Parts: sequence; C-alpha cells; structure tokens
Amino acid sequence: MPTVQFGHQQVHYELAGEPGRPVITFLNGLTQNANLWKSYAEYFVPRGYRVLAYDMLGQGRSSKPIIDIPLADHADMLARLLDELKIDKTHLASISFGGIIALDFAIRHGKRQHSLVAMSTFAELTPQLEFLGAVMTQGLTDVGLPYLQSMLYPMNMSSAWIAANRARIPAMKRAGYIGNDGYAMQNLMESFVAFKPLTPDLHKIKVPTLIMNGEFDFFTPRECHEVIRSKIANSRLVIVQHAYHAFTLEMPAVTMRQIEVFLDQVSTGNWKGDQSVWIANDDPTAAEPWLPIAGDWMRAVQVAAPAIVPAARRPPRTTAKTSVKVPAKTAVAAAGKTATRKKTS
Amino acid sequence: MIDPARFDQARDRIAAAGFTPEIQSKIALVLSAAKSGNLMFHANLQWMPNLGVVQQFIISQSARELEAVTLLARTTHWASDPKLAMEANRIVAPLVAAWSQIMLPPGPMLNPQAAYRGISLGHAQLARIRLLAVIPENADPFDPFVVALGRIEQENGRMLQTQIRLLKSVGEDIPLAEREALVEQDQELVDAVFSEFLAWLAAP
Repeated sequence: MPTVQFGHQQVHYELAGEPGRPVITFLNGLTQNANLWKSYAEYFVPRGYRVLAYDMLGQGRSSKPIIDIPLADHADMLARLLDELKIDKTHLASISFGGIIALDFAIRHGKRQHSLVAMSTFAELTPQLEFLGAVMTQGLTDVGLPYLQSMLYPMNMSSAWIAANRARIPAMKRAGYIGNDGYAMQNLMESFVAFKPLTPDLHKIKVPTLIMNGEFDFFTPRECHEVIRSKIANSRLVIVQHAYHAFTLEMPAVTMRQIEVFLDQVSTGNWKGDQSVWIANDDPTAAEPWLPIAGDWMRAVQVAAPAIVPAARRPPRTTAKTSVKVPAKTAVAAAGKTATRKKTS
Repeated sequence: MIDPARFDQARDRIAAAGFTPEIQSKIALVLSAAKSGNLMFHANLQWMPNLGVVQQFIISQSARELEAVTLLARTTHWASDPKLAMEANRIVAPLVAAWSQIMLPPGPMLNPQAAYRGISLGHAQLARIRLLAVIPENADPFDPFVVALGRIEQENGRMLQTQIRLLKSVGEDIPLAEREALVEQDQELVDAVFSEFLAWLAAP
C-alpha cells in the first residue's frame, strides 16, 4: 500500500485507475479502513473513473497520533493528500465519520470538488447522538475495544446480515482488533468534544450533493440527514430501503448504482439539485434507480385518515348531556390525505 | 504498525501446539518484565506531592500491575528450560533499559522529565502489547492462563486511561507535534520488542 509522508505523519492510500480520469475519493467511518472500498474501486475503475481510498489519521495503516488529533486536521490532510497526488478536483463519497470530514472539506475546500456523496452522517450532534457517542466512548474506556466492536455490529448492520455472517464475525473482529488501537479510536471519538456544528456553514456547499440515509438507520437517523438536505440547496436525499447505518458494506450493489447514476448526472449536466427526496430502487439493475416517495419521509409510519363509521350503524344518542369535548379532526385527517413535509430551506 | 501476519503466525503456532509450558513461560516472562517496569515506576510516582486526584489512579495502577504479575506467576505452567529466560531477557532488554533509565536517581518523583517518559512508556506498553489476538479459537476459555491473559488485557485498557489523560494535560506549553514525536519514540521501542516477541512465540 503506497504511503505519503507529511512531516511526522504518514498516510496510507490506494489509488486505482489511469491518470487523467475523473477521481472519486472515498472516506470511511470509524473502525474501518481503505481496504473496505476495494469492491467500489473494482466497480468504478472499469467505468472510467480513478478511485482513491486512504486510511484517515488514527485508522488502519496511517499514523495514529497518540496525544490528540483535532477534527479539522482530517479535511486539511485530505487537501494535502490531493496536492501530493496531483489531483486538482475530486468527487467525494463518504460515510459516517468520513461524512463529517467530507462536509467539512466541502465547506472549506469546496473548490477542489466536483460533487459530494454524504452517507449515514450528520452535521451537528443531536442530543441522541451526543448521548450515544458518550456511551460508546464509555464502553471503549471502561470495558475495551472488543466491547466497542461488538456494540458496533448490531448498530451498523441488519439482523439478516448478522445471521448470515455470524460465523465470520469473530475473525472480522480479530482483524479489526489488530488493525485498530483503542487510544486512537478514543482520540477520534473525543475530538467531538470540541466539535462545532457544521450546520451554519452547510449553505456554503455549492457542489452537487447526494445525501443517502438507510431506511432503518437508528444511529444517524433521518433527522440528521434532513438537516443536511434542508441547508444544501444543490442536494437530494435518497433513502436506501431496508438499510441500516453501514449500507455501503451491507448493500454495495445498491449503493454503487446510486453513486454511479449521480456521478453520470453530474458529469453530463443532468443533475437537478432541488432538495427533493427519493427512495433508492432495491433492484440495482432496474431502469429507474430512484423512486418517488409517498408521505412524510421523516416518519416511520404513515398516518391515514380514520375510518368513518356509517351514520346508520352509530349507536343511538342518549339524551344525557356530557361535558366531554371531542377533539376536532386534524386538517390532514379531515382531508383524507397522508401528511407530507414541505421543503425547508 | 506491527505486521498483522506476526499475530497470525503466533496464533497458528499456539493453535497447533496448545498453550504448552514453553509457550506459557515465554508469554509470562516477557509480559512480567514489561509490567514490572511500569509497576516500579508507579510504586515510586505515587509518593509525588501535590498529585491531587491523579494520585489515586497511580496507586491503583501500581496495585493492578502487581496483580497482573502475580496472576501470571501463579497461573503459568512454567517450563524448566533456562534458555527461555535468557532469550526472554534478550528480547525485553530495551524495555528494561528504558525503565532503568527512568528510575535513575533522583527518580521520577523528583525528575519531571523522567516522570513524563515513564507515562509515555507506560502508554506504549499498555496500548501496544496485546495478546488477545494470539489466543486461538480452540483454546479452553476456562483455562486459568487464558482467563488471566484476557483479564490483564481488559485491565490494560482501563489503566491506559491514566496515561491518556496525563499525556493530554501535562506539558501543554510544548507544541503538540513535539510531544507526539517524543511519545512516538516509546511506541516504536515497544513495537520493536513486541514484534520480536511475537516472532519468538511463532517459532517452533
């Protein structure tokens, strides 16, 4: 794996595809590494792209600062890596922790981007995320790295994936245990203590932006992606059906198709960043990659109008008067429609 | 970074041979030597004045390192081959030398530079000497030696918090990059020792 040295720190990277082609840079999440994008390189290189993946500082085979690593350093390091590799502009695709870095990069180094794909990520810590992060850090410090690893499988993957891969999980955990360091993971997690919300600066992101969120992602739920969608004018939100947090690993075919369609639209000038919301087609070979959404995408259930009891079957009224007030029908229910959310900007 | 293949080779050797007295002795000798250095350091440092809340964590680490060394001594099926002790001494010599330097008079209690170095070396040991990954899947999870290794490693992660907090807060007037470079030297020292130790474990 090639390495670039920046002062005292080194960054390991993988760059596949011929020079001169448009570059897609992939950024991974916590406890992951560049190697997990290998199948993405195998998919996009034959389609005319150059694919760059690298281990962020604190992960994989890159340097793991022992004392501290400020969050902003990651985006700056990416800019320096692109300089070193003589890549002027790139498409940036990112997930989870990498998504935050990609948003930060897009805000501060946006001129070096063709487009942005932000998956399973957030621009600010919701109270739920803040508490989850604290519990994860406590698990790491009080119990250990194996505990955090065990915690992340059910948080990231579906029951179906866990059931299908149950026998492989111990070996995967062992490889992760060897490749990661608890203190480095702790530094990355504790860097959020000084994290300032990116939300006030999201409007500075002008590049075409595809936001992707798993339908059942309870780690970074819809509200996190809704913030990003509502603040980036040139964006669209695509919800990946049946997916949890780490759908890039669990549903690579669907994810690759979505990214491919997006990049095609960007490169041909057909992209429409209108802050609309779509559903990713479960079938990556289907002609229509994005399906329209019905109802309120922020809800897990869609509320229909109550069934009206026919007048003839109503029980006879009693003459006694009651002081109980019957609540008026809501406007939505009265209209017999499912609630929909207006676009906010 | 330690080559992951080193872990695999050591694990495969243990999977094939089992936790023989020879393998247990190798582990116990090297681990005890490293932990004795950190124990000696903390046993001294706990008397430093004005430590405040840090003092109780240093006392605790001193006690836990003593517990780890005792656990190893009591759960290991010792091999009688004296060559094992000689080879263990050779492998672990750079660590013993580093701890000896830290403990030179006037000692870390009165020498802030030695104290910082001790915290840094302790961090490297607790963070990088990791044996869970060499325990094969076919090992008896209730074997006292296997249980001791698991407990020691879990405790290492907890003890490490003291070093993590101190390294972040001590010497803040020195630029971060300089402090990183200092601490990384100790990690490289420990990595070299541990890497050689894994190769020794993997050897027939």
